[in-house]
Amino acid sequence: MSEPHTHTHTHTPTELEPEPDMGVTKEQVESSLKSKMNPSHLEVIDTSGGCGASFAIEIVSEQFEGKRLLERHRLVNGALEEEMKEIHALSIKKALTPEQWKQQQEPEKSNTAA
Amino acid sequence: MATNTINLSPIHSTSSLRSLSFRSSQNAPSLSFYSHPKPSLTFPSISLNKSKNPTKPRAFTTTITSAHKNLTETELIAVPPLPNEVNEKFPSDAGVYAVYDNNEELQFIGISRDIAASVTVHLKSVPELCSSVKVGVVDEPDRAALTQAWKSWMEEYIKASGKIPPGNETGNITWVRQPPKKKPDLRLTPGRHVQLTVPLEELIDKLVKENKVVAFIKGSRSAPMCGFSQRVVGILESEGVDYESVDVLDEEYNHGLRETLKKYSNWPTFPQIFVNGELVGGCDILTSMYEKGELAPLVKK
Repeated sequence: MSEPHTHTHTHTPTELEPEPDMGVTKEQVESSLKSKMNPSHLEVIDTSGGCGASFAIEIVSEQFEGKRLLERHRLVNGALEEEMKEIHALSIKKALTPEQWKQQQEPEKSNTAA
Repeated sequence: MATNTINLSPIHSTSSLRSLSFRSSQNAPSLSFYSHPKPSLTFPSISLNKSKNPTKPRAFTTTITSAHKNLTETELIAVPPLPNEVNEKFPSDAGVYAVYDNNEELQFIGISRDIAASVTVHLKSVPELCSSVKVGVVDEPDRAALTQAWKSWMEEYIKASGKIPPGNETGNITWVRQPPKKKPDLRLTPGRHVQLTVPLEELIDKLVKENKVVAFIKGSRSAPMCGFSQRVVGILESEGVDYESVDVLDEEYNHGLRETLKKYSNWPTFPQIFVNGELVGGCDILTSMYEKGELAPLVKK
């Protein structure tokens, strides 16, 4: 009598296994910063060309009040603690208080109006 | 009898002339001298009158017969004892200059884009050899004109004395500004296979507290391995900061440094710059401070 036929199902990786990790997305960075820092202005740019390895950030938050630049950067780094495990490079271009942001915007407005 | 060879690097700067034989697409320039006014002094000026009719390229002639203000006829100007007074006596123009010692012995003939600046450097480095100077300002100071003027003075001196000025002999680096030697990067351990008797955190702590400025960078200071580290090195060097550098990618001598330093400084990225034992920040913060003029006072405190 022949052995019972055992069917072995060969699956493609996409069927059962999660997709390979594509790194951190711009949306993830934005989401973390919004939830933890409540920014009045936020701009996140993926400078890695899509692989999620490096980002440039411009952020305005009341949490920066009375804090020097190093402490402000620490706050941003802290808000992205999980993401930083995968991010290769993070460039914080601006970390300003709403008042500082307002002051910066005023000269720009007068320039564009001229 | 040993024969001397001429040092073909008369320019007093880090960029030296490679060769003295070059070709011009026009006729060889004729050199004429005229007085170049400066407070109470006149300097001969070499002007190039290029021919209007270009002919086929030919090599510059080595003897300049039209120069009526040659080396021997040029006035010898005493060098003031204080370097900050040099600008009052010498022009900040491009040209040739000949340096004489106390015995009025010619020591060096050089080319400079700023004669006063070059004389100042020589006065600081070899005051005993820099007693007086002859100056010839070159009117249209392209490299060819400067070299041609230098050659004419060199040949005149060699013809008259039968020797090369000591400072122009090959191998003599007294008069040529040397590029500063880059410091080696610091290593925290003797090697990854050596058992440390002190925790790495303590080594980091000791390092940043015993040195005024420490930059933890990716790669070495002479070859940074990322744009941010390169920028930090550039800023520190342009500010003339005497700093120590540590390569966080060196797994042989700084094994485990990256993770340990992240914990020590509570800072997740590199480069990291410490001043007086305190973390200043990374590339963004250093750049911001540099642009606002806040860096120099901090590192020079």
